[in-house]
Amino acid sequence: MAPAPTLMQNPPGQTSSGCSPTGCPMVRKLLPYLYIVPLMAFIAVFTYIPIVTSINLSFREWDFLSPTMPFVGLENYKLLLSSTEFWNSLRVTALFAAFSVPLRLGLALLIASWLTSDRFETRLLRGAFFLPSVTSTVSIAVVFSWVFATDYGVANELLKRIGVDKIPWLQDPRIALWVLILVNTWKQIGYDIVIYIAGLQAIPDELYDAASVDGGGRFHVFRRITLPLVMPTTYFLLVISVIEAFQVFTIVSVMTHGGPASATDMLVNMLYRVGFVLFDIGTGSALAVLLFIILIALALIKSRVIGRKVHYEA
Amino acid sequence: MTRNFLKLAGASLIALVGATSISMAATTITFWHSFDPEKPNGKALAEIIGNFEAANPGIDIQSEFIGNYNDIVAKLQAAIPAHREPDAVIMEVTRYGLFADRGVLTDLSDYVEKDPLKNDLFDFAREVGMFKGKNYIVPFNSSTPVLYYNKDIFARAGFAEEPALKTYDDILKVSKQITEKLGVEGITGIAAPGQFARWGLVMDNDSDLIDSKTGDILLDSANTIEAYQWMASLVHEHKVASADGVTDEDMGRDAFLQGKVGIMLNSTGTYVRSKKAIGENLAVRPMPCNKVCSVPIGGAGIGILSTAEQDVKDAAYKFISFAANPESNAIWFAGTGYMPINKHTADQQKAKDALAKQPGIDVAISQLDFARGRPRPPVVTWMRASEYDLWQAMALGQRDVKEVLTEFAAKTRAEAERLAK
Amino acid sequence: MKLENPLRSAAALIVGLVFLSPALYSIWLSFQTADAYYAGGLEFTLDNYGRAVGQYHFARYLFNSVFVSGIVTLGGIAMATLAAYAFARFTFRGSDLLFGLTIATLMIPSHISLIPNYLTLARVGLLDSYAGLILPPMASAFATFFLRQYIRGIPRSLDEAAYMDGASSLQVLTRVIVPLARPAILSMALYIFINEWNSYIWPLVAIGKSDLYTLQVGLARLYKINPGEDLIDWPLVMAASTISILPVLLGFALVERHLVRGITMGAVK
Repeated sequence: MAPAPTLMQNPPGQTSSGCSPTGCPMVRKLLPYLYIVPLMAFIAVFTYIPIVTSINLSFREWDFLSPTMPFVGLENYKLLLSSTEFWNSLRVTALFAAFSVPLRLGLALLIASWLTSDRFETRLLRGAFFLPSVTSTVSIAVVFSWVFATDYGVANELLKRIGVDKIPWLQDPRIALWVLILVNTWKQIGYDIVIYIAGLQAIPDELYDAASVDGGGRFHVFRRITLPLVMPTTYFLLVISVIEAFQVFTIVSVMTHGGPASATDMLVNMLYRVGFVLFDIGTGSALAVLLFIILIALALIKSRVIGRKVHYEA
Repeated sequence: MTRNFLKLAGASLIALVGATSISMAATTITFWHSFDPEKPNGKALAEIIGNFEAANPGIDIQSEFIGNYNDIVAKLQAAIPAHREPDAVIMEVTRYGLFADRGVLTDLSDYVEKDPLKNDLFDFAREVGMFKGKNYIVPFNSSTPVLYYNKDIFARAGFAEEPALKTYDDILKVSKQITEKLGVEGITGIAAPGQFARWGLVMDNDSDLIDSKTGDILLDSANTIEAYQWMASLVHEHKVASADGVTDEDMGRDAFLQGKVGIMLNSTGTYVRSKKAIGENLAVRPMPCNKVCSVPIGGAGIGILSTAEQDVKDAAYKFISFAANPESNAIWFAGTGYMPINKHTADQQKAKDALAKQPGIDVAISQLDFARGRPRPPVVTWMRASEYDLWQAMALGQRDVKEVLTEFAAKTRAEAERLAK
Repeated sequence: MKLENPLRSAAALIVGLVFLSPALYSIWLSFQTADAYYAGGLEFTLDNYGRAVGQYHFARYLFNSVFVSGIVTLGGIAMATLAAYAFARFTFRGSDLLFGLTIATLMIPSHISLIPNYLTLARVGLLDSYAGLILPPMASAFATFFLRQYIRGIPRSLDEAAYMDGASSLQVLTRVIVPLARPAILSMALYIFINEWNSYIWPLVAIGKSDLYTLQVGLARLYKINPGEDLIDWPLVMAASTISILPVLLGFALVERHLVRGITMGAVK
């Protein structure tokens, strides 16, 4: 395994000058800029300028067709914040996060603590769990649309065998979101497991040995040693998966289009709908800006909390 | 790719040679439409295009199946800032107003005026293309919603003879009986009405979504609310319509085609497909007349984008005119079930055969007495795109119908005002 | 924490199979005829793949996905390596700020740029083109960050030795740094490739012409148009789905370790 570099790693003695102490030709001074120009240009054009554009558009009214984009001030934000759609989307997204995140992390920790050894079967099983996380989300969404299809779907065929009536999984507003949570968990859990395994493997064996000598049972060891020591990893995964939940789009788009009755209309789906179905570019941009603010806030919490905790892990 | 290149190369060569003598320049028309090439409607369109290209060797139609009417609207609107719109496009008769209003579509009035076709088209067909006194689309497929039912399901549900199907109550009664008798076999009484049928049912209840004369938004008028309450109750209260057709109206249609639904209210344009699927068991009747008899004229027409080059526009209009001539229209009528739009279509052998051998294909035509075109101000595009989610909320019993429609009406009025600016 | 019980290992395998069963069953289904599936029977065929590739153009989509993901990976890795090298080995005015700006993009949700990027590419006429698919996702801040950290772990004395031999800084990069950082570069290349392979929302809005669809867009659309007479043709859809996960499935065993390493190290970002 290669040395794991981290942001925290900043060897104090290291000078970061590429030149020899005797001096640097002028060209050498310019070189680093040349090296970073391509990257910076792309980042500027496709990330930073768009933020400005979005903010600008969020104060305007446009439908792609009109030659002008009149300035309307905060109108779009007002419209958005007073609409049932926005609050519904926020509620659905929060609900998704609130249930999918604990489910993912709880299961992942359980599975990971079972898979820390390096034997062949465990490695194979780890691979099995990991596979969906690198597989196309569209494929997964299509496969699960079939699994949960009301007619001829796998889930209902299985239910039929045990004598249970068909369940309209994706047509019932009370159920559809849970199906999406399940599918998302299935897809993402491999990632969580891998991270947890790394966290668990970093816990020195002596700690476990000591705990066993003290006469603690498995549960005791888990609660007293494992759980506190993987806390930094948990924090990390918690924030990452909340951020992810706020960006879920593909499974919604393929499996439910936000329906039934807006029960799965998560924020990015609403953004797509407002922008590319209703062509209310101003409101769509306002929504993008709000989403941006929410996610930046979450990311800042992450670097605050995790920044401190990760030292601990390393 | 290669073939296209060769085509192009060949075309350029012809153009080069022909430039000095007769104008034989090959013109390519990109054409977006909504008819799945795998289904009967798409096959009929392909036949018409094939005939046109055979008759006009200098014109090449590159047709592309985009999806349903909503998909076309979305894709066209997205295409405008990107300048990737096609040359010609099928647009649904209530949703092209926005594009006409914004100068996206070419005013075809002059073309139509010079075209003898104009005297051959039925009045209703002429009317659907008019927006603010100008002609923007020429109808290709015209329809009204009709009532389809499955005779076999009716018989098995205990209807020895045809029950009355005139009022909301009639339909509900029949649907209940079917669901009660055959529910165990997974058969339900009626397919949840799609948007076109919903509009029709509102008109049957002596109302409309938008007043066709004054342009007032009627979404929150008492009769509209009553109509939606009844439609929603089919699903969440009486459970005689499956929720599948609510989330995706195609699924309601497909369930009928599979013989799992007794009644379907749908466009006459699904006639041939339905006939193919359930054969002799298909019966077609007029739409119910709950308070009045009134049905919307639906379907779509072909428009030309104002960004197209002049020679492309000329060629595209040639195609539009060809597609509406009696021969093409007869192919279309017989192959799909859409209504004839040309007065001479009925003289064609193909159309005569269809009328003789395909019972019920003429029901839509017989409804023309009380059919009317619907207003098409720019806001309709937004209104129809927004209605789906609200319908789901009402039909699945998530939200109160009156509350939803009151709010929706207010939003639609605001949107209409915004669009008028 | 060591588990030595063979029963548990057997249970582990069963759990793995059960976990993957929806995917495995979908692949199994892709080799059956639709008629047999709906009748509850069993009849094997390769016809679904034939139709997916022929009639429904999945060969074309496969090519598009390979091409686009390939170029994004090559370009992305080249840009990231160059920038990482500069950030790891040189101090220059504004380097901290620029590096900070790069890292900050990791926090920025890509969706905020959806509409603006659409308009930018519309303005320069690059929608409906490979370039339009390739350019926006090409810069990878994560790979840059990751490689910079990795390069900083490579002893500086190796650079110095090369400089003594008269190498230019570019030669130091290509002859010293890149060979030593190869595992990290490979991990990041995979990371970029898989992300791009699976990306959906951008190709969905940027591409209107069906000959430029990527597998993901093609598959979502195939599912949406309900292929089949009156019932959706699930075996056909599953054949298309299998085609779109195939490369990842095939390469998975070979690269899993690199992927896991990349992800684990990334977790501590």
